[in-house]
Amino acid sequence: MNLSLLRSDRSHTIIWIMVIIGVIFIARLFYLQIIQHAYYEAEALKEHETKFTIQAKRGFIYAKDGEKNTTPLVLNEPTFTVYADPRYVQDIDKTADTLRQIAGGNMIKDFEGLLKNKERQYAVLARQLNKDQADLLKKAQLPGIGLQTHERRVYPEGQLAAQVLGYVDTEGHGQYGLEQALDEQLAGKDGLLKTVTDVHGIPISVSGHDVQIPAQNGKNLALTIDRNIQAYVEQSLKAGLEKVQARHGSALVLDPKTGAVLAMANYPTYDPAKYYEVRDYKSFQNAVVADPYEAGSVVKSLTMAAGLNEGVVLPHSTFLNTGSTRVDDAVIRNVLQDVNGTRTMTEVLQHSLNTGVVHILRQLGGGELNRSARNKLFDYFSNHYFFGKQTGIEQSGETTGRIISPDEQEGNNVRYANMTFGQGMDTTMIQVASAFSSVINGGTYYKPHLIDGYLQDDNQVEKKQIEIVRPDVVKPDVSTNLREMLRTARAKTFPGVDKPGYIIGGKTGTSQIIDPKTGKYIDQNAIGTYIGFGGNSAPQYVIMIRVVDAKSAGYSGSVAAAPIFADLSNWMIDYLKIQPNR
Amino acid sequence: MERFSRKHNASAEIFRRHRGDFLIVLFISVLMLLGLVVIYSISPALTARINAAGNTLDQNHFMYRQAAYLLLGIAAFVSASLVPLTFWQKHKGKLLVGALLLCLTPVVFAATSLALCTNGACRWINFGFVTLQPAEILKFMLVLFLAGFLAHRIQERKLNDLHETLIPLGVLLAITALIVVGLQKDLGTGLALFGIVISMLFVAGLNKRYFLFALGGVVVAGLLFILTSTHRLERVATFFNAGDKDATGYHINQALIAVGSGGATGKGLGRSIQAFGYLPEAANDSIFAIVAEKFGFIGTIAILIIFAALFLRLLKVMDTAKDRYQQLLVAGVFGWIFTHTIVNIGAMLGIFPLTGVTLPFLSFGGTSLLFILLALGLVFQVSRYTTHQRTNNGERGARYEDRRSRRGLSRPRYASPGRY
Repeated sequence: MNLSLLRSDRSHTIIWIMVIIGVIFIARLFYLQIIQHAYYEAEALKEHETKFTIQAKRGFIYAKDGEKNTTPLVLNEPTFTVYADPRYVQDIDKTADTLRQIAGGNMIKDFEGLLKNKERQYAVLARQLNKDQADLLKKAQLPGIGLQTHERRVYPEGQLAAQVLGYVDTEGHGQYGLEQALDEQLAGKDGLLKTVTDVHGIPISVSGHDVQIPAQNGKNLALTIDRNIQAYVEQSLKAGLEKVQARHGSALVLDPKTGAVLAMANYPTYDPAKYYEVRDYKSFQNAVVADPYEAGSVVKSLTMAAGLNEGVVLPHSTFLNTGSTRVDDAVIRNVLQDVNGTRTMTEVLQHSLNTGVVHILRQLGGGELNRSARNKLFDYFSNHYFFGKQTGIEQSGETTGRIISPDEQEGNNVRYANMTFGQGMDTTMIQVASAFSSVINGGTYYKPHLIDGYLQDDNQVEKKQIEIVRPDVVKPDVSTNLREMLRTARAKTFPGVDKPGYIIGGKTGTSQIIDPKTGKYIDQNAIGTYIGFGGNSAPQYVIMIRVVDAKSAGYSGSVAAAPIFADLSNWMIDYLKIQPNR
Repeated sequence: MERFSRKHNASAEIFRRHRGDFLIVLFISVLMLLGLVVIYSISPALTARINAAGNTLDQNHFMYRQAAYLLLGIAAFVSASLVPLTFWQKHKGKLLVGALLLCLTPVVFAATSLALCTNGACRWINFGFVTLQPAEILKFMLVLFLAGFLAHRIQERKLNDLHETLIPLGVLLAITALIVVGLQKDLGTGLALFGIVISMLFVAGLNKRYFLFALGGVVVAGLLFILTSTHRLERVATFFNAGDKDATGYHINQALIAVGSGGATGKGLGRSIQAFGYLPEAANDSIFAIVAEKFGFIGTIAILIIFAALFLRLLKVMDTAKDRYQQLLVAGVFGWIFTHTIVNIGAMLGIFPLTGVTLPFLSFGGTSLLFILLALGLVFQVSRYTTHQRTNNGERGARYEDRRSRRGLSRPRYASPGRY
């Protein structure tokens, strides 16, 4: 009967039960922790590890505010997207109520339907929440509901320089203007954080396998544009255009000493904060760089510079103006027919004599309009003034324009005769104004640019090197002579308009628009241009105005564009506090 | 000789107090310390989540609380080992009724701040600074009552008497089950009570036919209970096709991830990630999964070994207890702790449905720890009066040899019954 001295059969049974359960437990533990370990470790990692994109901050854009200060044109503000992982949403009604309370206006239609769909893991419920709403939502701690932060561009100066700036689309890509041209610099580079998080997605420092690549923020651009000049230019352009009921107009202010753009404006414009309301994509375009046209008589100053620089004419050289001249089978006429007779080169600019600049072209060919003359003019237009090439200004959509080389069949004498006064060739305003700057500033072609430098964290601007494209466009004395000729021409054409004591020179231009369908000129739609400079012994600014489709009588170069120039020129003298010459 | 000896036994034998079973103290100390260390290591993760909702708890909050509970528990253990068992025996009826009334309190006062309810189940009495789970008191009182009741019936040789023992017992247990499982909706406590009753009846020596009948009855009742509630049916259904569609499925899944990702050697003490809100009840019901994640297969096996050793000690005390009352007492405590342990670990391993019972000694939790330690205090007291005699020879006596029947042969001098 002695089974055991210490154990009853009842506790034997209990021990057997213990052993059986123990074996089951150990087998199960072995299965879970040893055999299935890799699977569960992968499951754990899938659940614990989250990849975060560390968003790079898009660079801000600043304008100059006077000589030393900067002022922001484009900043960022955070905006939030609400999303749900419906699998983890617990109380759908309560969640929906809370969301509606906090972000009622932002919720998308039927977000409750999305909440109920447990098959999905990600559903966007609302967009464009502000920070206050986001904070409230975070406090509510709704399970399965998350927030994503985005940045939205804000424009403290409203529409100022809209086309120059461009905008940023919902995907975060820059469109038009600087935003597109310098998208990469502005965007920076997103960083990556791969880390283990708690159940709410908050990173915890438990594992050593975290991966962190810091974000590289975008560069903050400091523009050469002066917000005061820009604002005045926009205002003056708008007023000038309204006066002549023009359809479109552009204005460009350059610093001839550096090629820096001080202002660049188009009208009509748009609000970059509401870019999505714009119906006509042309409103986005910066016509100064993107719209090539026949600049017309303003090019005469450049032809003159070429003649002077080649030594074939002098300011006081004369020619016999007969009112028209025959080139091959074409007759080129002057607009003014009451200034025939012997005229000086200065008078050619003053009266805008087409025959005069054709005369210069002939002189370039040794007295007749030949291949050599065409070659020389083409060399100036192409290699001195860089027509037909992009200037490389920091704008998207810059076009090259087009000049036809003498090698082409179309590059005949008639075309070249027309090109001397800016017809039969396409140029952009930025090309003409940059070339004009180079011939009046002593002969240096500076690369036109909008970026003064990069604003550092300490608010100092790290200046960008100014680029000289060609130091010898014309000789310095040619430049001096040309300035005097343009000053005289302007003083005689528009007496009493400019502030006394300053050297202001310029040239008008009126051209017709070519109908893109028929290739013929449309008489009613003229483009008036004025380009000029101002300053004392050294020019301080170059201003170019273009007015499209002015309804007023008279040549729009003189009637529509020149008054805007005069207004801006006089204002610039005050604003820049230029010392008088005498 | 035998006859004489038995007669003497029944009269006034003096049992000398000797050294208690300090191995029990050692094993539970190891388990409690391990629990404290684990709670210490996950306390920052737990408090961080609570604080994120606007509280300002110290990051070691759970560790301090657990340490306080342990001190209280140790005090309970010591006092239970000192208070004479006759005290409990005398008041067993009143104590049980009191415990049953306590269990009714949160149900009756469900609408007031006195009761703490979750999902319609009111299981806690809230005293503001501390909450009390009366079901734990009930387990303790039931063990005491049944030990007294069954020992008395054994002495009267009416253990297997239908009218004297089994029907009153059945009525009592039905009432208890109604309160705990029916009103409090606490399946976990129901299982623990079942474990306590079964092991006590088994050790008491209930007739095998009755025993199997009772076992079957409880199983049928349990099945009926589950089938009559869609909620419970869903829970069981969830268990059988583990997904994480609902909270229970999610809980089991997270427990398995914690256990499985622990691997052979574990992630290390400070490297549990499941505690960061993934695994519900990380410090309480799920602490075994956290231990498995931290210490791996080696750690879980070690814990199972310590528990097994503890159970073997309990069984040894049970087998050598002074009398049937004390023996049944130990059997009840064994059933209690054993059920808690296997139900809890089984759930964490996905081989048992989740019922929300704590893992003894390791789980964070006041009432449960306190009363288990109180019960073990009683066991320790019993272990100080054990004999070398087998205890459950009560009614048949002569079946086993008694050393006292072989006086002079192997009679230890110190164990002299002192009848000269």
